[in-house]
Amino acid sequence: MTIAEQGRPAQGRSAASSGKRPSRLFRNPMSKIASIPMIFTAVVIFLGGTVWTVIYSFTSSGLLPRLNWVGLAQYDRLWTSRKWIVSIENLGIYGICSLIGTLLIAFTLAALLDRKIRGEDTFRTIFLYPFALSFIVTGLVWQWILNPELGLQHIVRGLGWTTFNFDPLNNPSIVMYGLLIAGLWQGTGLIMCIMLAGLRGIDEDIWKAARVDGIGTVKTYIRIIIPMMRPVFVTSLVLIGAGIVKLYDLVVAQTSGGPGISSEVPAKYVMTAMFGGQNLGQGFAASTMMLVTVVIILIPWAYLEFGGKKRG
Amino acid sequence: MARSVTPRRKAMFTIFAWAIGLIIFFPILWTILTSFKTEADAIAYPPKFLFFNWTLENYVVVQERSNYMHYLWNSVVIAGGSTILGIIVAVPAAWSMAFVPSARTKDILMWMLSTKMLPAVGVLYPMYLIFIKLGWLDTKIGLVVVLMLINLPIIIWMLYTYFKEIPGEILEAARMDGASLKEEILYVLTPMAIPGIASTILLNVILAWNESFWTLNLTAANAGPLTAFIASYSSPEGLFYAKLSAASTMAIAPILIMGWFSQKQLVRGLTFGAVK
Repeated sequence: MTIAEQGRPAQGRSAASSGKRPSRLFRNPMSKIASIPMIFTAVVIFLGGTVWTVIYSFTSSGLLPRLNWVGLAQYDRLWTSRKWIVSIENLGIYGICSLIGTLLIAFTLAALLDRKIRGEDTFRTIFLYPFALSFIVTGLVWQWILNPELGLQHIVRGLGWTTFNFDPLNNPSIVMYGLLIAGLWQGTGLIMCIMLAGLRGIDEDIWKAARVDGIGTVKTYIRIIIPMMRPVFVTSLVLIGAGIVKLYDLVVAQTSGGPGISSEVPAKYVMTAMFGGQNLGQGFAASTMMLVTVVIILIPWAYLEFGGKKRG
Repeated sequence: MARSVTPRRKAMFTIFAWAIGLIIFFPILWTILTSFKTEADAIAYPPKFLFFNWTLENYVVVQERSNYMHYLWNSVVIAGGSTILGIIVAVPAAWSMAFVPSARTKDILMWMLSTKMLPAVGVLYPMYLIFIKLGWLDTKIGLVVVLMLINLPIIIWMLYTYFKEIPGEILEAARMDGASLKEEILYVLTPMAIPGIASTILLNVILAWNESFWTLNLTAANAGPLTAFIASYSSPEGLFYAKLSAASTMAIAPILIMGWFSQKQLVRGLTFGAVK
């Protein structure tokens, strides 16, 4: 799992075997052939499809894709659209909160649970259950729990706290947090299990050494344990990141973008433009912008994480 | 390694863990309970926890309105098919990356994984056009291929992790004994990696089972899996919570049952072999 640390053994092994065989290109041709199906699918579908979308984002395609060039007109229209701006802001809020929230909650829980607890396998499975549900089901269940007439608010008021007010799904200013609760519920269990596994991988002696040196528990976690768990955090980041970009099904199931346009997200904007508004070009332009954003975030990070070590 | 603690603190942590577990499990439990209530009981106040008239009526109504077995079969075929296809493509690729690494292996792996973070809407329309060309819209074969592609990076990543733990010397020994490449992968590598492959299969069945973006957009009545089944109950019948719960329970039951009976592999699979 640890992409970050696989560079060294890999290079060590290839250096050892290249001594035996002179030509690098023809060394073990079968291994190249074995990767062909994978490389083919990745190139054709992901790269091909993406390039196609980018090219058609410069056209005025309406109901059907047509190559009528209009330059940046679709982008002009996109950035003057209030709905698009709201979508971007929403994804930003959701993304940052979900990243920090998931990491914080998952790590805290994992650290607290890193004791030999009876029936651990069982409740670990329970923690993973939300992840095993489709976003559609999650969205529906939480739509219900957060429904003021039926769910949480109603029950808490019934218990005597009559002024209790928690109705995120009908309040435009906090609707994203209603989605966030559902998203965290679904995603945190998985990350927590990964973190717990990472904590288990840390040697008992490190704890003993820290105790001998009189370092406090919290400080040991922050200064020693977390840096040691770097690969685990990288895995978690990849999974959380993939989840954030995917934010679409949850919105559709839980709020359908409402109230008004207050919980619109970019993926939903694209879908509405392409299939609802019959404006393919606009949808392509929006998905190109999403793509560019992901690339802008990914490249420096990937460079720092993986590029730097290659030379070092 | 877990740290040693006093029995009293241990009991405290156990209670804490179960409390969190209960909170996390509660929405699922509530959905299942509600599916056995009448519509009136489902929205009754105060909420009825266990003492209500248990009824199977909702299941009967849901089954009458839409053929559950049809959707279930589609889900099984699509999730199972895409996983098997994915394993067939991924095993050779993961083998070559784990045992014949080149200087670029790390970059290829990273590049592949990063496709998981690309927005799916960016390739939806090209995919749609390809599907029309091939006549794959609303067919199971089309979805099997798409879901295989979507999950392929994760499959390869996981298999690579497991393969890397197998010492390369064993494969070399097999080669010395004159095993061909096919024999090497089929009879030496695969049996050794069975636990890893099992976890990979399990995780990918779950991922494919839950995939809703692609299944909802590329299918209709014919090839729609359970995600389409549950989605069809969400919008117009939004107020019938008991029936919606029954439909949800039917949609998630197979995965919950499967998860319960394969806890060890599930945890191992979901933690990507990080548990040593």
